[in-house]
Amino acid sequence: MSRHRLVRNINIQDELDDDALSEEGDIMTDEQLAQMESGYEHIRAVLGDEAVSGLDDGFIKDTLWQFYFDIEKSLSWLHDEQERRAAAKERKAAKEREKAHKAITQRKASQTPSTSGFNTPTSRTMTPVGTPTKASSRRADSGAQSSKRSGANTPAKANSGRVDPRLLDLTALNLQPREEESPRVDEPLPRMAMEREKLILAAREVLEASGKNVKRGVSLVVIGHVDAGKSTLMGRLLYELGRVDEKSRHANERESSRAGKSSFSWAWELDGTAEERERGITMDIAMQSLSTTHRQITILDAPGHKDFIPNMISGASQADCALLVVDATTGEFEAGFNRGGQTREHVVLVRSLGVSQVIVAVNKLDQVNWEQSRYDEICEQLKTFFGQSGFHSSKTSFVPVGAMLGVNLVERKAPESSLLSKWYKGPTLVDLLDNLEPPVRDIISPLRLPISNVFRGQSSGIGITGRICGGIVQVGERVRVIPGDESAVVKSIEVDERSVTWAVAGSNTTLYLTAIDHIHVNIGSVLCPPTDPVLLATSFTARIIVFDIQLPIITGASIELFHHSRDVPATISKLVATLDRGVGSVTKKSPRVLTKGTSAEIEITLRGDTPGAVARPIPIEPFSVNKEMGRILLRRGGETIAAGIVLEIRQ
Amino acid sequence: MKLVGKYIEKTGLGHVTLRPEDDEDMWHLYNLIQQDDLVRAPAIRRVQNVSSTGSTESHRVRLNLTLRVSKVEYSSSAAQSSTADQAPSGSAPSTTTTLNISGRVTSENQHVKLGAFHTLDIEPNRDVRIEKIEGWDSIALSRIEESCVPGRGAEVGAVVCGEGTAAFCLLSQHLTVVTHRISVPVPRKASAPGTSQHEKAMSRFYMAVYDAFIRHIPYNNPSLRAIVFASPGWVRDAVYSSMMNEASRRSDKLLAKSLREKGVKVHIVAQLKETKFAREGIILDKFFKMLGSDEMRAWYGPEHVCLAADRGAIGTLLISDELFRASDPKTRKRYVLLVESVQQKGAEVVIFSSMHESGQQLNQLTGVAAILTFPLDIEVVEAEEKEAAEEAERRRLEEEGAG
Repeated sequence: MSRHRLVRNINIQDELDDDALSEEGDIMTDEQLAQMESGYEHIRAVLGDEAVSGLDDGFIKDTLWQFYFDIEKSLSWLHDEQERRAAAKERKAAKEREKAHKAITQRKASQTPSTSGFNTPTSRTMTPVGTPTKASSRRADSGAQSSKRSGANTPAKANSGRVDPRLLDLTALNLQPREEESPRVDEPLPRMAMEREKLILAAREVLEASGKNVKRGVSLVVIGHVDAGKSTLMGRLLYELGRVDEKSRHANERESSRAGKSSFSWAWELDGTAEERERGITMDIAMQSLSTTHRQITILDAPGHKDFIPNMISGASQADCALLVVDATTGEFEAGFNRGGQTREHVVLVRSLGVSQVIVAVNKLDQVNWEQSRYDEICEQLKTFFGQSGFHSSKTSFVPVGAMLGVNLVERKAPESSLLSKWYKGPTLVDLLDNLEPPVRDIISPLRLPISNVFRGQSSGIGITGRICGGIVQVGERVRVIPGDESAVVKSIEVDERSVTWAVAGSNTTLYLTAIDHIHVNIGSVLCPPTDPVLLATSFTARIIVFDIQLPIITGASIELFHHSRDVPATISKLVATLDRGVGSVTKKSPRVLTKGTSAEIEITLRGDTPGAVARPIPIEPFSVNKEMGRILLRRGGETIAAGIVLEIRQ
Repeated sequence: MKLVGKYIEKTGLGHVTLRPEDDEDMWHLYNLIQQDDLVRAPAIRRVQNVSSTGSTESHRVRLNLTLRVSKVEYSSSAAQSSTADQAPSGSAPSTTTTLNISGRVTSENQHVKLGAFHTLDIEPNRDVRIEKIEGWDSIALSRIEESCVPGRGAEVGAVVCGEGTAAFCLLSQHLTVVTHRISVPVPRKASAPGTSQHEKAMSRFYMAVYDAFIRHIPYNNPSLRAIVFASPGWVRDAVYSSMMNEASRRSDKLLAKSLREKGVKVHIVAQLKETKFAREGIILDKFFKMLGSDEMRAWYGPEHVCLAADRGAIGTLLISDELFRASDPKTRKRYVLLVESVQQKGAEVVIFSSMHESGQQLNQLTGVAAILTFPLDIEVVEAEEKEAAEEAERRRLEEEGAG
């Protein structure tokens, strides 16, 4: 039909794709060179085949698409292979190093924090110069570009290309603790305290190494009303920062437009499940990581839909800071901000879960022609609300963005941002993210790791993810799973998709456990040291603040209790007293009802699943013992009615 | 339940003979039979005979026994039912509700001595005669009436699900029976190796739901009026459509048909407004809303409700059947009087079944609550009462002084 047009289109596409192709090649060859010859040849064989089959089709465009696909496949295959081999290599290397470093003094260990930082440049210098192939020369041409672009592949690369320096450092760091670990069981107690202390010292050094080139880790939950553009903003941001490569961007773009949902193409990077893509809505937390100049940020993209608030709570309880995304479109902001909108609810929820820093991204300003008045109006309304919700004004910041166009995320140089640049001179979103202040981590207290996800690991064992709420965990350590009588051994630890040997409070980790059956590990369980398990409770007192609710709370009200990723049925068994919100003094003892806005002390008792059944206790701790383990939320009928802290465990 | 015979004098004394037929009837009997009632029902008793030579011989005798009740035990354990054997689809789930009545035998016969202990196992389709020493009160009589109405309200099957969890319930007028629960571990999508594990687990979950549904919901039974699929999010849609697909794949036309005709995914309350449990739920909601909007018109707790009843303020009385099961006859009498007095004044009385969620919630609220027709301040009323009590005390003292 319109072959001309087609051809013209193709020509443009062609160029783009050719560009992309070379980058693909780079990534592949880069890794392959770093890894081994056989893998390289395999890829190349696949490459060649595909090129041929693509040419058969006649349309270059189609060929290139085809090309992407197969690289994707082979790359993923390569990844798996790589990881397996790297793990084996790592083990072997670790063993050798252990031997070699027994003699090395502690001076080495003290150096490690600075070197254990994630430094990409070395990776390129380390890359061996490979066989003179077409692909490799191409790689050399766009070397700088590729190293930036291949962010997503860094873990694999780290395992392969830079095996030596990094592993050396990390094992050196972990040397003393791990060596002394095996006798640890038999040793008397003081000995163990000594050894833990060393690990803590090392951890603290890393945590406080703000001046050096170590990036400080911070976790960020992305919140806001449904359809405010949270996932889209994150997808675009990941792309701008090089965490999403052209390949998957194209794939998402093509598939989403094929499904008739091209406006969701950025969000598809985070909304992975078929259901989410079909409905165009985030349903569960997506975890990603990105790094800015000074920060290593773990991103938890929360669902905005009302029905998935339990998932959002699970995500928010793993975060230090929040990024609130609001829709600036006329009527949409109001819908999210008014009663029943999730803008309001989410903000109150994250505040109750201990988040004190919030960045507000006023999104979709392009829909209102980048009007400054609209931006100011929204900021004004939110500022008052933040004040009421207990946020300090110095801990909140605002930034106008256009997520779809990528305006003001990293910079404002693109032509789309000219309208914004006229009146906005402040920082971009990334600038603000870079200034997030990580809270003080509680690394001294015993390990507490509430599990937010359980899955099967690649080879053996079970993978769990969760945020460490206190203490420190290292590879080889034995951990107890509460509730239950089982314990497991930590096989490996991943933080921000990188394999590490230890992790401290505040990091969102993926742990691979062995020596335990998967039926004993459930979402909501807590990992603790075997010597210092967390208490189980069925009844406790709490101090709560009642939200803006329709129906008041009375004795015997049946509620759902949310604690990290767990929700259980419970009953408010007693209203102990109402408290003055400011001072905290008792205003009335045993009140009849709690109406909205009151602060009170109550007794909560868990219920069984069925009437008459015995309640199953949950792991929980008083706020005074561990802040993150002592925060609770109460919900009823799909509405959050109160938030609070645990005062005392009764039984 | 069938009413076989009823001989009640004007004074309320007399006996009633009932024939229970299903699980719900057992629940009614449990609520009817009090401590110290006389219950006559067929029983099987092991009788031991000692012959003159000292040898013993024991055999089982089927006989009718009359007991003075000391303890009534009710247990509904439908959840454990039908584990392995697949019940033929369409039949009601097997009865596992048991009602045990223990006490001393009050009528002697050749096998059993007077005063011997026995525990009656009440079975369906066997007549039970109940005689009340204290006499039959209005609550008990209305319950007999209610339980013997043929073709009672709709039975509803419900599948309540979340991601990876599902509970199968059967709801009848007075009972909520959780017949089965499933819990399939579903890795969340955030897991590192991607989302395939999540989707695999979800399809495993849908299959588990399908299998459990066939076993635990008598979908082909005409008395089952509706099948409710409930969940947050869209799990209900996914479950429903996966069940439809699976039914057509296995060419199970009966299931597909009943799903199409009876399947409800939302708005249960509108559909089933006429059934008792939905009504209870609506009224309890109304009470909570009243408590939110006008605290002075929503009272709870026995003392407070009694005070409100004294002042003729009650518009709707919410009371749990648990209170009438009190072992102390005085307590029961007190609540019966409360209900009667409220009814006399033309107010509505709703007796909640504690086997429903709404009844459970009411039980948490001391079991009795009232929506008042006009606002009354509890503190003012309490002060009035105190004054009245003091006044009475003073008068008594004066009289004593005078006397």
